[in-house]
Amino acid sequence: MDLELNDIQQELASTLNKYLRSEYDTQAREAILHSEEGVSREKWEAFAEMGLLGLAIPENYGGAEMTFAEVAVVLEAFGRALVLEPFLATAVLGANAIAAAGSEEQKQEILPAVCEGQTFLAFAALEPGLRYAVDTPSTTASAGADGAFTISGEKNGVLGGDVADQFIVTASENGELGLFLVAASASGVSRVAHRQADGQGSASVKFDNAPAQRLGAADAHAVVAELLDTANAAIMAEAVGVMEASLTMTAEYLKTREQFGAPIGTNQALQHRAADLYADLEYARSMALYSRLAVTNEEAGSEKDRHRDVIAAKMIIDQSARTISQESIQMHGGIGMTMEYPIGHYAKRLTVISRTFDDADSLTAELAEIGGLIEPHAADLS
Amino acid sequence: MDTLLNAEEREFAQKMRQFYRTEIPEELRFKVATGQELTKEDMVTSQRILNQHGYAVPNWPVEWGGQDWTPVQRHIWLEEMQLACVPQPLPFNVSMVGPVIATFGSQELKERFLPATANIDIWWSQGFSEPDAGSDLASLKTTAVRDGDKYIVNGQKTWTTLGQYGDWMFNLVRTDPNVKKQAGISFLLIDMKTPGVTVRPIQLIDGGHEVNEVFFDNVEVPVENLVGEENKGWTYAKFLLGNERTGIARIGGSKVNLARAKAYAAVTKTARGTLLDDPLFSARLTRIEAELTALEMTQLRILSTQAAGSDKPDPRSSVLKLKGSQLQEDISELLVDVLGPQGLDFVTDRTQGEGLSDLPLGAVDALPAYFNTRKVTIYGGSSEVQRGIISKALLGL
Repeated sequence: MDLELNDIQQELASTLNKYLRSEYDTQAREAILHSEEGVSREKWEAFAEMGLLGLAIPENYGGAEMTFAEVAVVLEAFGRALVLEPFLATAVLGANAIAAAGSEEQKQEILPAVCEGQTFLAFAALEPGLRYAVDTPSTTASAGADGAFTISGEKNGVLGGDVADQFIVTASENGELGLFLVAASASGVSRVAHRQADGQGSASVKFDNAPAQRLGAADAHAVVAELLDTANAAIMAEAVGVMEASLTMTAEYLKTREQFGAPIGTNQALQHRAADLYADLEYARSMALYSRLAVTNEEAGSEKDRHRDVIAAKMIIDQSARTISQESIQMHGGIGMTMEYPIGHYAKRLTVISRTFDDADSLTAELAEIGGLIEPHAADLS
Repeated sequence: MDTLLNAEEREFAQKMRQFYRTEIPEELRFKVATGQELTKEDMVTSQRILNQHGYAVPNWPVEWGGQDWTPVQRHIWLEEMQLACVPQPLPFNVSMVGPVIATFGSQELKERFLPATANIDIWWSQGFSEPDAGSDLASLKTTAVRDGDKYIVNGQKTWTTLGQYGDWMFNLVRTDPNVKKQAGISFLLIDMKTPGVTVRPIQLIDGGHEVNEVFFDNVEVPVENLVGEENKGWTYAKFLLGNERTGIARIGGSKVNLARAKAYAAVTKTARGTLLDDPLFSARLTRIEAELTALEMTQLRILSTQAAGSDKPDPRSSVLKLKGSQLQEDISELLVDVLGPQGLDFVTDRTQGEGLSDLPLGAVDALPAYFNTRKVTIYGGSSEVQRGIISKALLGL
């Protein structure tokens, strides 16, 4: 059994953490946050040059052909620095959708552009009134005479949708779930850009007979299920980075902030709560790893286990994210409420993460419904 | 968790699974699986079978019956044992006094005690806690005063688990009252049949007799029963308590209990179906399942770090104790709640007689187990002590 990062992953983590510490510090992030686009194309190019955008993409499409484990390393580092660029939307959701469901031609067209940082993608699945359900979209796709498609409907909460060049859209074609590629510049596409509480961009998008290509190389249900499991595992890796930074910052504050003539961390009430946060962080690390192993397990028939393990992991991550974000603000006191001080930004990211793709209650209900993690067994019943 | 293990580890797990399920008598495993109390004979029988096959004391040095196993193998040994509901070897023998004698004792002490300890020919009791020395163990007051070739021991120990069965007792005693409290403690072995030793039962809120008080009244102990050096006992005690934390999360046992609660819930009817279908109950159960998985992954991460060659003190061990003990309590509470109104009596048998129907499964053990399990967040370093250890590592204050 070996759960440690390998040499390549350690090297990747250390190079990236170093880069982010010097080039993506609080001031740099602040400048991006207040820029018009809310993302830095310069930083995005730098990520492309470092090879981060195509880590899991096959070599013949310009990627590094590594695994999700390396992607998770990047996201954890991005979490520590609260990176604002749409890595999850483009390099995970978007690229994975194309890789899984795109034709050879579609892959050749889009994946190299992702690796080179020349395109932003977004996965448009959520719809008004549907909460987290993605399998039964109201958005419809219609086939034209020439094999081309048009899409009509409304999507919201589209991560990275504010800057996306292409949308991967879930739509129903004659009652069947399908995946479609729509250019943001196409006729019939209109979007309203939003900023989430954590500063990351999203959009509501209206498709009105917008021309689309079908991404039809694989079963859409299976692709969407795997896409969301992987994205969940990715956001969990990011959450670990965010939580780790939050706890480091909070511990530092407890050691240095003095009241009544002593560091506030000398109070046992705070020490014990800080210890609980440490335990919560360890649980989060454990379950981020658990989900990473689930999505990289390629054994036959593992899809069902994969989904079960991912949702169990996200339950714990959401719980840890909630406690760490809320307690970090509380332990900082008034300063934790300010935009000027970083801790609140971390809390905002955690607040969003634990409601992205699903939330703790919906996950709990789903895991219970599929029978949980442990088989019922009693020696005196069998 | 099998997918995390490599081929050899999987094979080892399979071997242990097979061994426990074929060699340990089924009636013993059934008792554990259904929460029945084990007798002294049950525990001795199980440990002797384990010992015959070299599985009682794998954590000891090889020359004294241990196994040259990796931390992962030791984990598998224990996990599979708990999953198979095998009565565990007596911790006082195998995790506590055995390793201390093997590490710090003289050759003479090793030869005299280790084989008998592994085979539970000697039943050891622990003499650490005192009425005024609980979490603050080093403030213990029991004295051992040197008198020629013997020590004269006076004082009182408490919480002596299963001391009613004890043949010998390993004790922390004060041999030098004039130095810093940790520096005047020695590790002394006492034959419990020596005149002046009195064992008195303590009744616990679960209705059982599990722990005792032990009184020493001018007890004469030969000096050769001292382990290691005089006044170095605190070092040995810390070593022992470090071993005690290994496996204290009891993940395998919690899985068994949770599976049991779940099975009972599935056959427990409510006004709207079964209890397992009840949204609030199933949400609570499901959260516990997810937490138990997180605990297990945390344990495996610690093992992986150890397997990679690190033996630094790891505050994550305290996380295991803190979270693992809480989960044991949560699961014991879950079982009580499965029984609901039918689990509130202290009974010794499910059958009522007089033509009345049997009480539901778990009716005998759930409530006593719930009260008994309160101990797990108290012993082995209370939750508060664990939080102190973690915050010290985190804050250094």
